[in-house]
Amino acid sequence: MAEQNQGKAVQTTGHAWDGDLQEFNNPLPRWWLWTFYATVVFAVIYWIWYPAWPVADSFTKGIGTVTYQRDGKEVTTHWNARAELIEEMQTGSETMKQQAYLQKVAAASYDEIVNDPDMMAFTRSMAKVLFADNCAACHGVGGTPARIGLYPNLRDDAWLWGGDIASIEQTIREGRNGFMPAFGQVLGEDKVEQLAHYVLSLSGHAVDTAKADLGQAIFQGKEGGCYYCHTESGKGMASQGAANLTDAIWTVADVPGAADDAARINAVEAVVRNGVHRQMPAWSGRLDDTQIKLLTVYVQSLGI
Amino acid sequence: MAHSAAAATTQYNYDIIKKFALMALLWGLLGMSAGTYIAAELAFPFLNFDIAEITFGRLRPVHTTLVIFGFGGSALFATSYYVVQRTCQARLASDWMANLTFWGWQLSVLIGIIGYVNGITEGKEYAEFPWYVDLLITVTWVLYLLVFVMTLMRRSQPHIYVANWFYLAFILATAILHVFRNLSVPVGLFNTTSYSLYSGVQDAMVQWWYGHNAVGFFLTAAFLGMMYYFVPKQAGRPIYSYRLSIIHFWALSFMYMWVGGHHLHWTALPDWASSLAAAFSIMLLLPSWGGMINGIMTLSGAWEKLRTDPIMLFLITALSFYGMSTFEGPMMSLKSVNALSHYTDWTVGHVHSGALGWVAMISFGSFYHLIPRLWETRLYSVKLVYVHFWLATIGIVLYIASMWVSGIGQGLMLRAFDDYGNLAYTFIESVVFMHWPLVVRMIGGMFFVSGVVVMAVNVTMTIRNAKLEQAALEAKIAAKLAKAGA
Repeated sequence: MAEQNQGKAVQTTGHAWDGDLQEFNNPLPRWWLWTFYATVVFAVIYWIWYPAWPVADSFTKGIGTVTYQRDGKEVTTHWNARAELIEEMQTGSETMKQQAYLQKVAAASYDEIVNDPDMMAFTRSMAKVLFADNCAACHGVGGTPARIGLYPNLRDDAWLWGGDIASIEQTIREGRNGFMPAFGQVLGEDKVEQLAHYVLSLSGHAVDTAKADLGQAIFQGKEGGCYYCHTESGKGMASQGAANLTDAIWTVADVPGAADDAARINAVEAVVRNGVHRQMPAWSGRLDDTQIKLLTVYVQSLGI
Repeated sequence: MAHSAAAATTQYNYDIIKKFALMALLWGLLGMSAGTYIAAELAFPFLNFDIAEITFGRLRPVHTTLVIFGFGGSALFATSYYVVQRTCQARLASDWMANLTFWGWQLSVLIGIIGYVNGITEGKEYAEFPWYVDLLITVTWVLYLLVFVMTLMRRSQPHIYVANWFYLAFILATAILHVFRNLSVPVGLFNTTSYSLYSGVQDAMVQWWYGHNAVGFFLTAAFLGMMYYFVPKQAGRPIYSYRLSIIHFWALSFMYMWVGGHHLHWTALPDWASSLAAAFSIMLLLPSWGGMINGIMTLSGAWEKLRTDPIMLFLITALSFYGMSTFEGPMMSLKSVNALSHYTDWTVGHVHSGALGWVAMISFGSFYHLIPRLWETRLYSVKLVYVHFWLATIGIVLYIASMWVSGIGQGLMLRAFDDYGNLAYTFIESVVFMHWPLVVRMIGGMFFVSGVVVMAVNVTMTIRNAKLEQAALEAKIAAKLAKAGA
């Protein structure tokens, strides 16, 4: 800058455009030039280290190498992204920790896992991510769906398809088809209403007892046949995925969210009228055995 | 060499410049508003209202097309036509060809965005235009090249001013990029769909060769051309170094063409192509900075102008953001840094420090210089220029800072492990984390857009005043003539 201030006009190139546009002819700033040279040196080093220049039908391999195991033998290759990933998956400190735990879990029985605090801590840590990436889209973050009516809440201890380890594993591995027929056409609106009164009476809600009595006859008789799946006591049947109607847990009709008795009746009527069609996909083939095992333990632990 | 500026409006074709300048402002306002709206959609997804036409996927290309091609493109047409005429002391070679470039360009942008909201797109980032618009752009661009070169050939002095080198490099490179990126076979004459000539990783490579050189030649070289005229003009001082301008011009033009591969690190792109691109990106740093040094040092010895001249504030701040984002870019192009930054909002923040900080700010500054001269009047309000400057600057700072937090934060969360070697966070946790930075980004966008609204008011009032002054002048002359006649 000092150069520029010595004898201003002398240093311009002598050209002028559009009246007053001129150019000084200051030399390149030294720091600019040397830093530019430094980036060139950096680039050359980068090219010497990594694969860089195409040559005929191949390329310069660079002097950087990666060593990893293939079929029990040690392989050394020029630096490349795939080899680095393999090496990382074989020797990275995080991978080693995870692999050790995974082997331990894969070899252990469900009882052993549940009774070993260390393995359970690992299970929670890994299954939390598995759950969020695979299950949370329907069951919600943490196992509670955004609202009643979509998918079962996994954070309570009511299990439509059974809450023991074997049932949960089967649910995850093979998926489930939740089905209840629609009764609207078969029974007509009056009987749908009577059934709704009876169903709500099972969980102790205030209902019209006359209608509930009529509903009971339909529920427990051949006309409705509801007891086939929900059983005579209304406590449900895990083999059919039939819900327990006597508790305060609702997975389809939003009874807890209803404002008054009429709204509760409406909510239950809608289910009786339209039936239920829900599906959980099968995860075998998408998740490996160990991942399913971890998820099984994790999902069961959510409901305790 | 000094030429009289008198009768500039008849000596030069100012009409075409006025049209492009006004369209730049209109597209800018629309495009930046669209950008702010989709920023709001990312923070509050219900703003989709389940209307397909206004979902993020449809509006995003509307935003980028309007700000890059509508605003940026029109600003470049306007300033290049102004600069080439002023520095060559020659009128545009052909008024009708210049007019065709105006209608061709505006029509392309319009057809493009109407298509995007209705789902008609080639799906190639920044080259979403369907094949028939690509053809229209090609014709327009050839006319642009002809008008520009023929005007250069009419120049009244032997030397071509540096700003024109940059504009010419931009026109030539954009022609090559546009043609090769868009080579495709239409399904039929009356069908909007076409199939790209490239597929797989080659298509990806062509895409980023195009995409990054659009940044290099459209958004960098061309706006450096703008800088090389308006900064010394507004400062009233000579350019700092002619030598530096030559060196950095050629270095920039040579280096940029190689670096597109840095958008595809750690993908199916061969490793050699990605390290080649990374190394050239590092070497691009100083050539990029050459323009910043030449611009900022031009003001050396006249720093006090920054206190009194808000237009100078715009120009110098633009150069500072240019310097910052051309430093950030090479860093992000290193494989190791890219592993963290890629696919996060850091990239979005980087792009906008260039787009808002450099491209938009240098255009605003140039326009505040240009518009009063085009309409032969003074700016309606200098105070409003200050207001615009601060709204824009606060907007950019909020934008960039929030995107650093969001991008680096998400990048770190996605690579964090817990004590068991498992991933510490789920993807959705990183999305939840991004909510507040996204809200701040949206607010930054609102600041920036309101600055443009202030500018639009200022420009409208300036033009209105110019017309009133003109009418008053004509009335005076008429009165005098009437008196003389009586």
